Amino acid sequence: MDKHLTIPDNDKGITAYKIAAITVLIAGLALFPFVITNRFYISLINEMLIYGLLAMSLDVLLGYTGLLSFMHNAYLGISAYVVGLFLIHISPSSLWLALVAGVIFTSVVALPVGWVQVRTGGLAFALLTLAFGMMFHTIVWKWYGLTGGDDGLMGVPNPAITIFGWKIGDSGDPATMYLFTLVIVALCYLLTRRIIRSPFGAVLEAIRENEERAAFIGINVRMYKLFGWMLACMLAGVAGALFILYKGYIGPTTMSAFAGAGVLMMVLLGGLGTLWGPLVGAAIFIYIQDYISTMTEHWEIYLGMVVVLLVLFLPTGFVGLGSYFKRLGKE
Amino acid sequence: MEAFLCTEDLCRHFGGVTATDCVCINIEHNGLRSIIGPNGAGKTTFINIVTGRIPASSGKVLFQGCDITNKPTHELVKMGICRTFQITSVFKDLSVFENVRIARQARKGGSLKIFSLKKHLREVTEETWNILERLDLQNLAAEPAKNLAYGDQRVLEVAIAMAGTPTILFLDEPTAGMSPAETRHISDLIQGLAEDISIVLVEHDMDLVMSISDAITVLHYGSIIAEGQPDDIRSNELVREAYLGKEE
Repeated sequence: MDKHLTIPDNDKGITAYKIAAITVLIAGLALFPFVITNRFYISLINEMLIYGLLAMSLDVLLGYTGLLSFMHNAYLGISAYVVGLFLIHISPSSLWLALVAGVIFTSVVALPVGWVQVRTGGLAFALLTLAFGMMFHTIVWKWYGLTGGDDGLMGVPNPAITIFGWKIGDSGDPATMYLFTLVIVALCYLLTRRIIRSPFGAVLEAIRENEERAAFIGINVRMYKLFGWMLACMLAGVAGALFILYKGYIGPTTMSAFAGAGVLMMVLLGGLGTLWGPLVGAAIFIYIQDYISTMTEHWEIYLGMVVVLLVLFLPTGFVGLGSYFKRLGKE
Repeated sequence: MEAFLCTEDLCRHFGGVTATDCVCINIEHNGLRSIIGPNGAGKTTFINIVTGRIPASSGKVLFQGCDITNKPTHELVKMGICRTFQITSVFKDLSVFENVRIARQARKGGSLKIFSLKKHLREVTEETWNILERLDLQNLAAEPAKNLAYGDQRVLEVAIAMAGTPTILFLDEPTAGMSPAETRHISDLIQGLAEDISIVLVEHDMDLVMSISDAITVLHYGSIIAEGQPDDIRSNELVREAYLGKEE
């Protein structure tokens, strides 16, 4: 091959080894509900997948574009409420329409917010995400007539899952819903991975590395920051749609700043700028949360301690474990 | 004759300080113009205004007859106005290759292709290799920029700017902190570039400036105090005073 057409990156792209690993993982997850029929474990993993998708979408923003959002869960919440309201008030059986409505509405909200936010960077950007997120949280919390306020949105119907008119199953059935979630999350992961490796993704990385220089090589920094933001919010919107379909319920605490910090921890626990790291981070976070909350209702205290330890001893997150063991092996 | 790039009464104030004071400069097409002056003369401020890093307080910048005052940087780059930075500004965690490749991509287009792969932009890849070879960086292509020696980072800085195919290139102290050998390397490079494009060089190394400039502009307290060929500048009384102080 002509040397002038190759790119000397450390990244080898898709290798046979990676394809095998991803296939085994997805197959294992797909078989899970047939092996372990306990509904509790199925919905636990379902939740890991949904929050994994949310954490991954935050990684697009934080790990690739270099923008910190404290309340990315707000966009999961907005989408979940819209999908829920759509199913309750407009059409109880149109799953795909509801999903699309959720993602579109989330984008419509995220666009002007992003337009304002990308005029800043760094800490100011992060503070604006917090300000907007808290506004959305309060609107949802106080608008009792529409959202059910404190009680949350209840009585969301379970539409049938159909593909091109073929009925696959019912979204009220945990195993079916779990498999549906798995397929959507896997597709989102592969799609995002592709986008991140595209010339577009390269622009986002340049902005993360050096915003000023990016402008001086001809990149419209604000525009691309807005694109990165929109991508992250749309993915969060997909996660929100899955969330309401699987739970059939959403309350305002899902959109709180406290929950937003949890999403950020998932990303950092897993490893920034890797896409799959935050998926793993979300799984670890939710497992720890679930495990500790069976023992004490003050689970946040112990979760906090675990996170402190992980950050101190594993600062690059779970994905840093590999190089950690390599170093141990050498010593 | 219409100037290639010129400024009209360009001013910039920082609070009460006037960093650029009614500067009118004419830069011709092709050739090497140096801007010199004692520390704090407003050389970098001048470049910052022209390349859109900071807005002008008043006055105009004209490029090929168009008013480009206070235009966004990325639009200026698309017109062929590029620059390097005095304090090295590269994409530290990206490979040397990617540093240049992304600059080439940003200028050439294709950044909105979200489903392609980087290697599908074949011309971008090819031209990146050409730039790296021209600057003798091809053996460092896979290295993260932060691992490079300081001198190589300065060369990379120029490589990134060149990837924007400038028609006018502003170099802000490209040899700052370099060894004599590295300075020679950069100076050869600049002279080569000046054959095809306009170069505006801000530099403290007087030997370098005197040997390679076609014309020199001297700034002092934000204003032009002298302009001309290297020999004229060398013998200019005002320039001597600005650098050495007035003889009593």
